[in-house]
Amino acid sequence: MPPEPQEATLPPQQVDRVPRGVSTKGGDPALTLVLDRLTGGAVERPDSPDAWVTAVRRLPAREAQFGGDVAGIDDRLRDVLRERGIQGFYTHQAAAVAHALARHNVVITTPTASGKTLCYNAPVLSAVLRDPSTRALYLFPTKALAQDQLAELHTLSDQLSRRSDLEIGVFTYDGDTPQDARRAIRGRAHIVLSNPDMVHSGILPHHPRWAKLFENLQFVIIDELHAYRGVFGSHLTNVLRRLRRICRHYGSNPTFICSSATIANPRELAEALVEQPFELVSESGAPRGEKWFLFVNPPVVNQQLGIRRSYLAETRRLAAEFLKRKLQVIVFAQSRLSTEILTTYLKDDFEGPPGIRDQIRGYRGGYLPQRRREIEKGLREGSVRAVVSTNALELGIDIGALDACVMAGYPGTIAATWQRAGRAGRRSGRSAAVLVASSAPLDQFVVRNPSYFFDAAPERALINPDNLHILVDHVKCAAFELPFTTSEQYGRHDVQEVLGVLQESGFIHRADGEEGGDGIWQWTNESYPADAVSLRSISSDNFVVIDMTDGSDVIGETSFTSGPATLHEKAIYLVEGVLYQVEKLDFEGRKAYVRRIDCDYYTDAITYTKVTVLDTFIADAPGSHGEVHVSSRVVGFKKIKFYTNENVGSGELDLPEQQMHTSAYWLTIPATVMASLPFAPDDRRDGVVGLSFAMRQVAQLLLMCDRQDIGISIGSGNEGDSPDLTRTGEPVTLSDEPRIFIYDNYPGGIGFSEPLFAMDDELRRRTRDLIAGCECQNGCPTCVGPIGNTGPMAKTVALRILDLIGATHGAMEPSA
Amino acid sequence: MNSIADRLRRIVRPATAHGVGGPQQGDESEEPDPSHGSPQSGRSHMDPAAILDGEWTQAGSHRFLVVDRSYAPGHRHGSVSIADSLPPEEGWSRLGLLAGTSCGGKLLFVDLETTGIAGGAGSYAFLVGCGWFDRGRFHVRQYLLSSFASERALLEAVRDIAGDVDAVVTYNGKSFDLPLIETRYSLNRLTTPFADMPHVDMLHHARRLWHGDDEGHRLSSLETSLLGHEREGDVPGFEIPARYFRYVHTGDARPLGAVLEHNRLDLLSLALLTARAAQLLDEGVTSAATAREALGIGRLYERAGMTSDALACFARAADMGPGVCPDALYAHAVLLRRLRRYEAAASAWQRLLDLDDCPSRLVREAAEALAVHYEHRLRSLPSARHLAMRSLLLDMTHARREAIEHRVARLDRKLARSEPALPALF
Repeated sequence: MPPEPQEATLPPQQVDRVPRGVSTKGGDPALTLVLDRLTGGAVERPDSPDAWVTAVRRLPAREAQFGGDVAGIDDRLRDVLRERGIQGFYTHQAAAVAHALARHNVVITTPTASGKTLCYNAPVLSAVLRDPSTRALYLFPTKALAQDQLAELHTLSDQLSRRSDLEIGVFTYDGDTPQDARRAIRGRAHIVLSNPDMVHSGILPHHPRWAKLFENLQFVIIDELHAYRGVFGSHLTNVLRRLRRICRHYGSNPTFICSSATIANPRELAEALVEQPFELVSESGAPRGEKWFLFVNPPVVNQQLGIRRSYLAETRRLAAEFLKRKLQVIVFAQSRLSTEILTTYLKDDFEGPPGIRDQIRGYRGGYLPQRRREIEKGLREGSVRAVVSTNALELGIDIGALDACVMAGYPGTIAATWQRAGRAGRRSGRSAAVLVASSAPLDQFVVRNPSYFFDAAPERALINPDNLHILVDHVKCAAFELPFTTSEQYGRHDVQEVLGVLQESGFIHRADGEEGGDGIWQWTNESYPADAVSLRSISSDNFVVIDMTDGSDVIGETSFTSGPATLHEKAIYLVEGVLYQVEKLDFEGRKAYVRRIDCDYYTDAITYTKVTVLDTFIADAPGSHGEVHVSSRVVGFKKIKFYTNENVGSGELDLPEQQMHTSAYWLTIPATVMASLPFAPDDRRDGVVGLSFAMRQVAQLLLMCDRQDIGISIGSGNEGDSPDLTRTGEPVTLSDEPRIFIYDNYPGGIGFSEPLFAMDDELRRRTRDLIAGCECQNGCPTCVGPIGNTGPMAKTVALRILDLIGATHGAMEPSA
Repeated sequence: MNSIADRLRRIVRPATAHGVGGPQQGDESEEPDPSHGSPQSGRSHMDPAAILDGEWTQAGSHRFLVVDRSYAPGHRHGSVSIADSLPPEEGWSRLGLLAGTSCGGKLLFVDLETTGIAGGAGSYAFLVGCGWFDRGRFHVRQYLLSSFASERALLEAVRDIAGDVDAVVTYNGKSFDLPLIETRYSLNRLTTPFADMPHVDMLHHARRLWHGDDEGHRLSSLETSLLGHEREGDVPGFEIPARYFRYVHTGDARPLGAVLEHNRLDLLSLALLTARAAQLLDEGVTSAATAREALGIGRLYERAGMTSDALACFARAADMGPGVCPDALYAHAVLLRRLRRYEAAASAWQRLLDLDDCPSRLVREAAEALAVHYEHRLRSLPSARHLAMRSLLLDMTHARREAIEHRVARLDRKLARSEPALPALF
């Protein structure tokens, strides 16, 4: 960790102020006290980007809204719900259940702890009670979520079994299910809880064994719909295409019930994933207590370098504020490492009273399930007072409702931030959520522009199921499962053309139909194609990381595209805070051999990337969108010291070039603009590099994507211009008319460039806001990049370029 | 911009298949010119029915090929003839021991050739080979799937001939052939004829009767060792799917000739091995040619509750040779104990302990059984203690060691309570 200025108390002006702004009426006095200390009592106040607390928002309490009775709910289920203290459906539950029972697909977006599971359990259980042949399939993005739901459903089904002769079978079916239990599950399960990966490789290819399920499949539930964006979502669409194809074969036509966190386009995403119309239920009728939402920006400690006080230390102090007043708190950290660090810090803070250390727990993937269940239970029962978690607790695991949530760093998306904030919030009484910004550009942007978060629509989730790489893999799987007919359609492209190419390669054979009828495409290959397709990446051609320290254990996997940059020889590879050094990279065998090492630096690869425009789909100066060829090569690496980020050495590497076709958005800086810049050539170059650095951050924000989903490059984009190689965003030379490319970092593209093109104006405007609003003098990691990388004029030049482009095209309004 | 097909060609890597370029050995004369490998271009117009000497069966708009062969009583398969292997008129009387349930004598031998071994809806049986004994001859009928569309009709035809038999006989059918063909029936939404039918899976019996645990248990190696038949120019199993795919792509049935012959030989071997096992069971221990056969049929008798036959088999197996002697004595002792013939059991345990090459797991069992016998039935505490101490010298699990130490402690308490210490008997 960077050295922390140690402060035992809050900034002096906020200490010991008499509570006045926050009313104590109906709220928890302890929470009120903390809020008062944080806000200085000033509740209704404008956003103040430069203050310590940049924003304070109060979300008012809301009474429960009950919907009317829903016809079609089985009386026995009604009795069981009443026995559990559920007197009626909230409005959103009633609406969702009514849609589902009327066999309309429905997507529900309501906050955490609003009783969303009843939206799908009620119609499914009612249907099973009415007709025991009914079957339902639940899909969760993780096995842990399926386990959590299993417990809930078992309780319900046990109570129902006592009221009927029917034993309702509820089972999980995933990679952990023992082989000998599988046959029984196939026969006895009314409700199967699984995940898309298992459906893809374990259920669909064996559909004849699941004939009973597919013949009677009435409902498919997709929980945490928002998790299926990008590559994963594009794969899921294809898995669902295959599922529905098999359902048609067995004569069923299931209704889909989906639940999602709040995203901008839940209905659009559901319709894109399932390719059927959906009803949307978005207004929650669940009661909600008053909630306070605060943004905290650690103060600047070095104005020139733009360095702020550590957000982890800030998080620690804020969490302690809640904790020492006996408030139950959840802290979200960004990584497994910071989770462990914060847990240690908090435990140390409460060293004194015996027992309290055990009331503070860490929680992350990698803990054994038993320990996780124990912590979840402790949270529900109140014996655990504080938990520090990775995003593992962001999804719908039941931990009850807590008093306060402190987020160490912006979770990356608006949707995820609301999800995490929702972990604090009782149905009555007051709760608080605090976002502590790190110095990452995205964090700084959000915390300094609170209205972006509070008032704008959350992100759109994007998928591209017709990416040819993904499509071809699933067409193979589908052809294995059931032969295609010569008139069958699948996806947006002409699948018959895809099938023709697969025949050329020997995978299938076209058999003509009789008397002019449809022919079929017969699978003529020995393989089991689902085994070669991983839903979580675009290609299963991954590098595996093998630890040679004691024997040879596989400790990780890295995608083909990022393999060379992270697994080159002498690279430092990190797993859960443990350092490994790569000893050998077997590029052909896709294996990296590593050994544990103790050192004080990490490595950063130097990559040359060249983008060539193959086809411009639309050009609307200065932005364009089209197909590009990206070739990149890792040529060396730098050693960077932990904490100080000093460059302490470097090395050269010779690795094969990687190539892909993908789609890209690019910004063209006209030659006239470049020529009119009143700066030296080096400064101009720095300005373009700095601009690309800032654009990347904003693009990531606008696209709701992960950092590695997009790549960036600067160049002319022309085939012949060989000197246009760029070095991790640093051009060796600059073209007369340089282009900044933001490309989809997946072969074939995953659908980012088109929306980015559509948001071209917003992209430039927000990039300008980010750079202009940054408090640093000459550039920092928050805006145009660290000053050592980009030179002293980068900030100025980048702003000038944006202004000149804006002036040229009239689309930009100069910011105040 | 490239057409989709062009972009796809860059993405799709050609399918790899074993021997897709052509079989590596044997029957070159049947092979088409390799340049005819591409689809459509080199489609042969020779009728598969003529090449494979079969007949088309038309079912609605679909057809499949049926190839019939019949083997006369004098036909020899290695050293064994069909006549040697024919079931008696009323069928083999103890066949039920092989099926694990009582069943009649009409058997259907089944062996599939498939497009893959991975399972799943895309692995299918392109050749269903069926065999049966009838009126002194062995008949083989093979159903060849000529196009995928005719699978349903083919399965219905198989169901018809399976409809009036008493049991199905396979080699490894429990885990491979039957689940695979059940999947095909269920995919075509037909009920499988094999679901409730008694099933003899000769793989398991062959392991018992003719092979130790480590030896190869392939049907072809049994065929050589037991029936004395050496195959010539046989197509290796891994090459079979590729030959079928080539037929599908080109229409040239010539590469399939060897596949059909391979399947027929498998069926013949399966039938003759089954006959050998059934005859052994009918004739009893005196017909066992080896100790392993005697032990194997003994176990089948034991499972069927025929204890006196089983005891005779175990005793004979123990006398016949050193190889399976410890296992035979062990089986003998356990069965005797279960029959409460403790004295006889004790002498079997003792014989086991006295063997030079007795595996340590059996030494443990024997020593423990004898210790119990001495302590509780003969009340000979020092002998019991000696045996317990002896077994403590062996490697064993922690739990077992604790149990024995417990026994020793108890014996010591009993010994202390009884007379002054007796001199050790051993």
